[in-house]
Amino acid sequence: MRLTLFLILASLVLLTSCTGNTQRKQVTLAVVSGVEGEALKQAAADYEKQTGTHIDIAEFPYTNLFEKELIDLKARTGAYDLIMLDDPWFPRFAHEQVLTDLTPLLQKRGKSGPDGDFVETSLALCRHPYQSGALYALPYVGNSQLFFYRKDLFEKYLMKPPATWDDVLAAAKTIQEKESAGANGGQVYGYVERAAQGNAAVADFMPIFWAFGGEMFDANGKPTVNSPQGIAALQLMIDLGKYSPPGYASFNADDVGAHLLQGTAAMSINWPAWISSFSDATKSKVIGKMEFTTLPGAQQPGQAEIGNWLIAIPRDSSNADAAIDFLLWATSAEQMKRSAQRGNPPTRKSLFQDPELVAKYPAYPAQLRSLQSSRPRPRTPYWNEIENAFGIFLSKANSGDLTAAEAMNQANAEIEKILQRAQ
Amino acid sequence: MPKSRRFFSAPNKRELLLPALFLAPALAVLLALSIYPLIYSITISLQQETAAGVTWGLGNFARLFSDNFFLTALGHTFIYAIAALTCEFLLGLSLALLLNSQIRGRGVFRASLLIPMMLPPVVVGVVWRLMLNPNFGAINGTLKQFGINTESLTWTASPKLAMLSVIAVDVWQWTPFVFLVLLAGLQAIPPEPYEAALIDGSSRWQTFWHVTLPLLKPSILIVLLLRTMDLLRVFDQIFILTEGGPGFATETISLYIYRTAFRFFDFGYAAAMSFVLLALTNVISAVYIKFLQAKETI
Repeated sequence: MRLTLFLILASLVLLTSCTGNTQRKQVTLAVVSGVEGEALKQAAADYEKQTGTHIDIAEFPYTNLFEKELIDLKARTGAYDLIMLDDPWFPRFAHEQVLTDLTPLLQKRGKSGPDGDFVETSLALCRHPYQSGALYALPYVGNSQLFFYRKDLFEKYLMKPPATWDDVLAAAKTIQEKESAGANGGQVYGYVERAAQGNAAVADFMPIFWAFGGEMFDANGKPTVNSPQGIAALQLMIDLGKYSPPGYASFNADDVGAHLLQGTAAMSINWPAWISSFSDATKSKVIGKMEFTTLPGAQQPGQAEIGNWLIAIPRDSSNADAAIDFLLWATSAEQMKRSAQRGNPPTRKSLFQDPELVAKYPAYPAQLRSLQSSRPRPRTPYWNEIENAFGIFLSKANSGDLTAAEAMNQANAEIEKILQRAQ
Repeated sequence: MPKSRRFFSAPNKRELLLPALFLAPALAVLLALSIYPLIYSITISLQQETAAGVTWGLGNFARLFSDNFFLTALGHTFIYAIAALTCEFLLGLSLALLLNSQIRGRGVFRASLLIPMMLPPVVVGVVWRLMLNPNFGAINGTLKQFGINTESLTWTASPKLAMLSVIAVDVWQWTPFVFLVLLAGLQAIPPEPYEAALIDGSSRWQTFWHVTLPLLKPSILIVLLLRTMDLLRVFDQIFILTEGGPGFATETISLYIYRTAFRFFDFGYAAAMSFVLLALTNVISAVYIKFLQAKETI
């Protein structure tokens, strides 16, 4: 009896391994659901038709993708041959040494490295350590923040596009006071911030923090968010909150988008993914009135936060060669142009200047300028934990629980604790 | 297969084989899905990952006492559980008493009261998130119709009102459950004790206090026990409604455990927190059972 059972099991194992060993090349790809993953899925389908390489897609919502990928990679299952990564996750993956160094694979194909058409700030994200280290990924979607403002209101009150955060504050005041019995029949808030704890608050704050000369860490890696510059930056965020819709301390990106589309707020920091919805008559009450530009500065020139999607090959992939072929194909100028046409900003300079694409996406020149001058979130494997702690105190300051100085001092202490634990 | 027969030649072994075979799948599932993860989580709660490698010890548990986030979240969990449980119990009991009497249309009331309970907590979270939206939500919209200034009523976005909002949603959803269990308990009470009380000339209040309540005690114990355990590990609604915010105002233990495990990837510390939550739940449950059962014998 035991023998029969054993024979059945053994034949099952043999059978399954046979089907896995067919002649066709096979690659498994983990993608995020939403527009970024959708474009890559369609590219994968095209690739399959062209080359016959079968591509399995594993799709996950944004919040699950990180945990799913890191668990599988750390457990060394080899389940994925290619993974999409949001750039702030990259240091963690690189630190855990679960990614494949791409340079040897490129050299095998007669290339010394990635080609020079990639935007430098995007490519720098793919190296560990940042900018200088080995190449573990290629950039696929080139997002960076933009400053959104209502062109019509700025013209109406004879204001120039804001160059500094002080300009923004003054413009927000003017618009909110003068549009309070609004032309659209309702209140127009001068600005809309998002300060929900976590990613939202931190993403909205970093450009202000950097413009004021704030740095999260000093040269020795000690946290310095409670520097005078940091506290002044948070104070500006709180001041700007006076012209933001009530409850913004719990706003996320969709709340900001809703206010801008409804025409109930005049300015914001936001991501390029929102641009197309402003010309969509079913969603937008402000068609043709929204302008997109680079971020305002202060003591320092304005810098946007970069937010790119990268594609990497896990170290335990058994199909690294097939994977790199697809990766190079998908990030080629020709294919990335198709991704751009499907709604994703590219990571190649030539495509940001491509006449056909610029005609379709008039904000591309501004996006390229923003991307080229952008900054990454601090490169640390503990970013998720630091962002969480930092975001809590930013949100508390914006909801009126703490003063700017209290929030920054407490945030600094928590960040220091996180770093100490890691040592 | 004559060869394999030799292993099972003794007849008593053959008799054992069949039951063992039937039990094996259940046992395997239990081992794989309950016992193994439990043991594994105990071992990882005793491990700390550092730059130097993995160290063993009680470090994760020691860290709990200096972790402000953990202690605050623990406080929030208890505030949430106590407030929601009190409201749900009092409301549920009142509704059960009311609808246990012969009032008109009680069938309709009973049925409609159960609707919130049947909705998935995530759906409840999304619905209330929309209703509580300070700018576009139904609640502030209605209040505005009555001329109430809603400028400061930002509900889930306000550090003062956020906890109240998430508690209210829980009360809305789970009072029906308390009501249902207590109603079943009330209907199981035979009429004789009431008749006896009536003959002895006891007042309505005395009847409630000395007849209804003692006889309802088993149902009360069950419902309090189940609700307490649920409330202490609440996750879905709060995650949808506020994600623990604004700031940290509604972060409960479960949310913090989730974040620690799946955002920060510190499974050891998350496991340690889970065991603390488990221990607290056990202690509270034991107190309930002791307290409510002891009184029953009087």
